[in-house]
Amino acid sequence: MSEQKKHVADIDRSMYDFKDKDTSKFKAHKGLTPEIIRKISAEKHDPAWMLDFRLKSLELYNKMPLPNWGPSLEDLDMDDITTYVQPDTKMKGNWKEVPDDIKNTFERLGIPKAERDSLAGVGAQYDSEVVYHNVKDEVTKQGVVYTDMESALTEHEDLIHEYFMKLVPPTDHKFIALHGAVWSGGSFVYVPEGVHVSIPLQSYFRLNAPGAGQFEHTLIIVEKNASLHFIEGCSAPKYNVTNLHAGCVELFVKEGAHLRYSTIENWSKNMMNLNTKRALIEKDASIEWVSGSFGSHVSMLYPMSILNGEGAHSEFTGITFAGKGQNLDTGTRVVHAAPHTYSTVNTKSISKDGGACIYRSGVEVRPNAYGSRSSVSCESLMLDAKSRSDTVPVMDIRNDDVDVGHEARIGRISEDSIFYLMARGLSEEDARALIVRGFAEPVAKELPLEYAVEMNNLIKLEMEGSIS
Amino acid sequence: MKLNLKNVNCLPTPTWNKLGVNGGIIDTEIPEIVPYTADVFPQTLPKCVEISDVMKTDIVFMDGDVDTGSGDSVREFVKKNHNTGFFIEIKAGTKVEEPIFLNLELDNQNPTLVDENTIVAEPGSNVTVVMRYTSKPGFNGFHAGMTRIYAKNDATVTLVQVQSLNETSLHFDDVGGTVFENGHVNLVQTEIGGSHASAAAHLKLMGRQSGVNIGNIYLGGNEESIDINYLVDHYGQKTDCEILARGALQDKSQKIFRGTIDFKRGSAGSKGREEEFAVLLDPTVRARSAPLILCEEEDVDGQHAASIGRIDENRLFYLMSRGLTEAEARKLIIEAQFTPILSRIPIASVREDLQTSIAGRLNTHG
Repeated sequence: MSEQKKHVADIDRSMYDFKDKDTSKFKAHKGLTPEIIRKISAEKHDPAWMLDFRLKSLELYNKMPLPNWGPSLEDLDMDDITTYVQPDTKMKGNWKEVPDDIKNTFERLGIPKAERDSLAGVGAQYDSEVVYHNVKDEVTKQGVVYTDMESALTEHEDLIHEYFMKLVPPTDHKFIALHGAVWSGGSFVYVPEGVHVSIPLQSYFRLNAPGAGQFEHTLIIVEKNASLHFIEGCSAPKYNVTNLHAGCVELFVKEGAHLRYSTIENWSKNMMNLNTKRALIEKDASIEWVSGSFGSHVSMLYPMSILNGEGAHSEFTGITFAGKGQNLDTGTRVVHAAPHTYSTVNTKSISKDGGACIYRSGVEVRPNAYGSRSSVSCESLMLDAKSRSDTVPVMDIRNDDVDVGHEARIGRISEDSIFYLMARGLSEEDARALIVRGFAEPVAKELPLEYAVEMNNLIKLEMEGSIS
Repeated sequence: MKLNLKNVNCLPTPTWNKLGVNGGIIDTEIPEIVPYTADVFPQTLPKCVEISDVMKTDIVFMDGDVDTGSGDSVREFVKKNHNTGFFIEIKAGTKVEEPIFLNLELDNQNPTLVDENTIVAEPGSNVTVVMRYTSKPGFNGFHAGMTRIYAKNDATVTLVQVQSLNETSLHFDDVGGTVFENGHVNLVQTEIGGSHASAAAHLKLMGRQSGVNIGNIYLGGNEESIDINYLVDHYGQKTDCEILARGALQDKSQKIFRGTIDFKRGSAGSKGREEEFAVLLDPTVRARSAPLILCEEEDVDGQHAASIGRIDENRLFYLMSRGLTEAEARKLIIEAQFTPILSRIPIASVREDLQTSIAGRLNTHG
């Protein structure tokens, strides 16, 4: 067998690395002051309570320290991040009216095609504003509200007031306090009781202006016995200055309801992705997270499920792929806060070419959560000896009537498997590629088709060998 | 006196502070440290072993290369306050047949014990050391100990530390060690008593084909807290480690188990396995676990598994259908849980004593 050390090509992200001329009409000054917050708020025509909320969040942000754990955030200079960039366009309901350069960006990312492929609605975020929004008639007829957060704040102010940042309060950590102060854009979905949305809703976020942060807020309420599949995808062009993404996702899944939330994060490699996602799952309701992390320079992403009602259920399937210059700290948190709640976590990570994957998780079982079960499994693949792969799981169990299991494995591609496949006529390169694809397959099969294709493209590592 | 220790039993990579496993602060009142006068060695020592009393000789410890599991603050406290301790050196090529026992008992005359020990196994030697920490009932005892282990080329050190202090005593047990080529360290720590018991070890596999086996038994009752931190660093090639913990918690006891296997770059061909099984016997217990694997080497195999829950109803039912009462069946299942670790203790009398003290502390309620 060849002992030659071979090379796995980096993901070719040139198709994502195009940028348009920065024509934004308004840019906030660098650095954050109450004046800036007031300006942002006025520009967005916030109600008074929202301005108050922003100012209080800013106060918290200025007081709170950076996290004392996790990846290094030294490349992040908050003063350098323009928090708000409003694109030079108004809300458009018609694709034809979207400015050409913006449209061009989305065309190249394949969004209209995705819509043609029967996705329910496309909310594509350009910089900090939703520029294009379209919800198919049949979904609207069912009483489903799918709109951008700014419109929701006008049209459904009571609902927003009731739910906005109640699940992820700005006191949680520094970057969510920042989010509370400067949030802009994002999606709002309301699925009424008993309604099953049969086609997935999709939202595609993008960053464009150099140095601009992205602070979109996603708020989804799935009422009793309703169901929804929401897809979020991210891709950004490459820039030289550090970019920050500090979005927030709040998901309320009511009694007997079901929500599937799928994400492929594919930020460019200068992005600091410090995103906070949380779901509150009520009685007999369930959430399925499908999460793929491929892009960004540094990620801290741990979708959290709070199993708040008896019989609530959560399932997390994740894949993380870190290449050169990437430090992807991902995982999940689950809180069993009611009796007979169930959680499953299944993650895979691949590290290559000096990249670092850190799997981090927390499973908590509260004293009242008797009869609960949790099962966690994580597997890591090291493709070379320059990379890093850490597993940092924690379990906190406060009641005896539980069944909590955890298993993890770190290793490389087994020589035996390669040998076996080669004995069946495959080249060493093909054998390695096949094994890596097989490793990622349990996650790929959970993704919607177009995302599975995107992920396969990302993983299709022109594997002229690899590893060894 | 005031005992104030910071960063005790820290995870090498911290995580969410809210989970409370990153490492602790000890801030408590302890008895004044007084000279320890009890007789420690119950037997005549073999000639191939050289033992020096650290209280009577000027020994300069080779401390620069040893990190201990509990961290700097505990280590410095022991170095500064030790009231007993031994430097045990096994000459090259000697196999010490009989285990060396150290009986470290706390009583009214000796309520405090701060022992600083060093075990140096010269190349090709083999030794078993058993440290028994016990206490008479009815007073607040305090023990803090640190043991350094050097297992040189082809040497094997087996260290068994048995802790069964009374319910009002504090216990800190800290181990640090370096294992050289083909060397091996077997460490067994058992935490059966104490109001607060801390057990920790940090072992470095420096030499090629060196190995470490750590076994831990914990049994928490009343309002006791147990705090465990094991770290094994793989530096050498083809090194091997296994961390195995078996525990049971009852009443309002709580424990934190941390175990880290760290594959450093260059440790190609190494294997590490970590496993913790905990049985929870009452709804009021709290069990926290953080089994970490850190890895910057491709050619390694690292695994960990943890399982936390109550006694398997099917096994209970099976035993009861064979005529055992529920209490007897429960006891049998819990005791069986400890067997894989007990079997690592090479001395029958120590195993039996442990089984007796475990049985004595287990509640029998169903």
